Amino acid sequence: MGVSLDMEAYVDAQCALLGLTLSAAQRPGVLRYMQLVAGMAPRVMDFCLTPADESGNTFVPVAAPASDDAP
Amino acid sequence: MSGTASAVDQVTAALARVEASDARINAFTAVLAERALARAAAVDASGASDTVLPLRGLPFAVKNLFDLQGLATLAGSKIERDAAPATRDAVLVRRLEAAGAVCVGALNMDEYAYGFTTENTHYGATHNPHDTTRISGGSSGGSAAAVAAGQVPLTLGSDTNGSIRVPASLCGVFGLKPTYGRLPRTGSYPFVASLDHLGPFARSAAELAAAYDAMQGRDAEDPAQVARPVEATVTALPRGAGGLRIGVLGGWFRSMALPPARAAVDRCAAALGATEEVLWPEVDRARTAAFLITNAEGAALHLHDLQRRADDFDPHTRDRFLAGALLPAAWVQHAQRVRHWFARQVAQSFGQWDVLLAPATPCTAPGIGTEWIEINGHRMPARASMGLLTQPVSCIGLPVATVPLWGLDPAAPHLPIGVQVIAAPWREDLCLRVAHALQTAGVVSAPVAKLN
Repeated sequence: MGVSLDMEAYVDAQCALLGLTLSAAQRPGVLRYMQLVAGMAPRVMDFCLTPADESGNTFVPVAAPASDDAP
Repeated sequence: MSGTASAVDQVTAALARVEASDARINAFTAVLAERALARAAAVDASGASDTVLPLRGLPFAVKNLFDLQGLATLAGSKIERDAAPATRDAVLVRRLEAAGAVCVGALNMDEYAYGFTTENTHYGATHNPHDTTRISGGSSGGSAAAVAAGQVPLTLGSDTNGSIRVPASLCGVFGLKPTYGRLPRTGSYPFVASLDHLGPFARSAAELAAAYDAMQGRDAEDPAQVARPVEATVTALPRGAGGLRIGVLGGWFRSMALPPARAAVDRCAAALGATEEVLWPEVDRARTAAFLITNAEGAALHLHDLQRRADDFDPHTRDRFLAGALLPAAWVQHAQRVRHWFARQVAQSFGQWDVLLAPATPCTAPGIGTEWIEINGHRMPARASMGLLTQPVSCIGLPVATVPLWGLDPAAPHLPIGVQVIAAPWREDLCLRVAHALQTAGVVSAPVAKLN
């Protein structure tokens, strides 16, 4: 029950921050899904990684258009 | 590949099959008869050689998240009906047509590709051609069903967590999910850009290879595409599977599969002489990482519409998108790091193995509307569970050919089930060689559904 109440408060706070308004029809499904995801997240969050374990996602700078005036 | 019939004859026949069967299948959301016949006539009039047009006259259709000039790109949604029509075709559509194929229409899918069943509330469910009471799988359900029903010999779909491999398995057709970053996604509606792949469905490995070869090549507009040379696969197919080191994935890939799915892998392994089990570490964490990344990144893409018109989303996706917008950033960032850790571990296994086999889905196609399934004693949500065995593989971008087997489910012997043929990054050629060898040996096949 405590977890459920905490989740409701979390959902309400996040929705306010993001400008989302949950209707009565949407609210139960969103809460149910948040509970599901919150139950799964520890499988990722409990896994110890070192600072060297980067995501591997890399930003590739975008080259400027070719120009005859380039040095 | 395209046979001796004219392009106009091939396209006319495909349009007639769509007309005759789609009321039962609901694979198509748009049929482009006028455009297709005009292009077919142009192909016939071109006089170009088969070398220039290797897919001469081959009718194909695309999941409706691919741009088609003059149509709004729906991505399975009601919301995108309001979007401006696409001003040009997606890059992969242009490349197939440049090779002589002819696009005949757009295909049904789960809304914004967020699903494994193609039970689309706005456009109706796509029915499995081998048993129309059952799902086609998704999210590229229309793409798999159109091939299974014999409406067209080639389709395109997308795969973020299994959306090519799941419907290929459930509809009994071949599918190829190339390496992440291989084919350009320019002109397609994204779902989760850090996980999205595009690829073909067909009724043979050779047709997959021909289409895949025609679609390779750099397109600078896709920031995730990796600059690789074109690495043709058609010419590699005759080399078969001989000499390849082939293993069978165990652990998660056995425990999350029902007996028919395990039997399908065993049959392929026996035909290929593969006897050793291979274990990847922490597969369930990788699957969870893919789940979190998908939920958060997919939701963020639609935040504007979730703020203003959430009730215009499909009830099957709406609450998941809303919840995904609320996830803590740390979960998603950590998931990306776990994903890359997993990729590094799996890369080690490919030092010892060339190809690995795994089931594509836990079971054969459930009935439309099924909410729960039981997997080895665990009651699981049916829709999400269709991707249990595909998510850990696409999470790290490996190339996979899905091959269909038959008669392995005693409760439903008329239904197919697929096996994933997995290789190291950039080795689509090995996936296709093994798929072709299994087809040549009669182990896998993709017959057109009888549609009784």
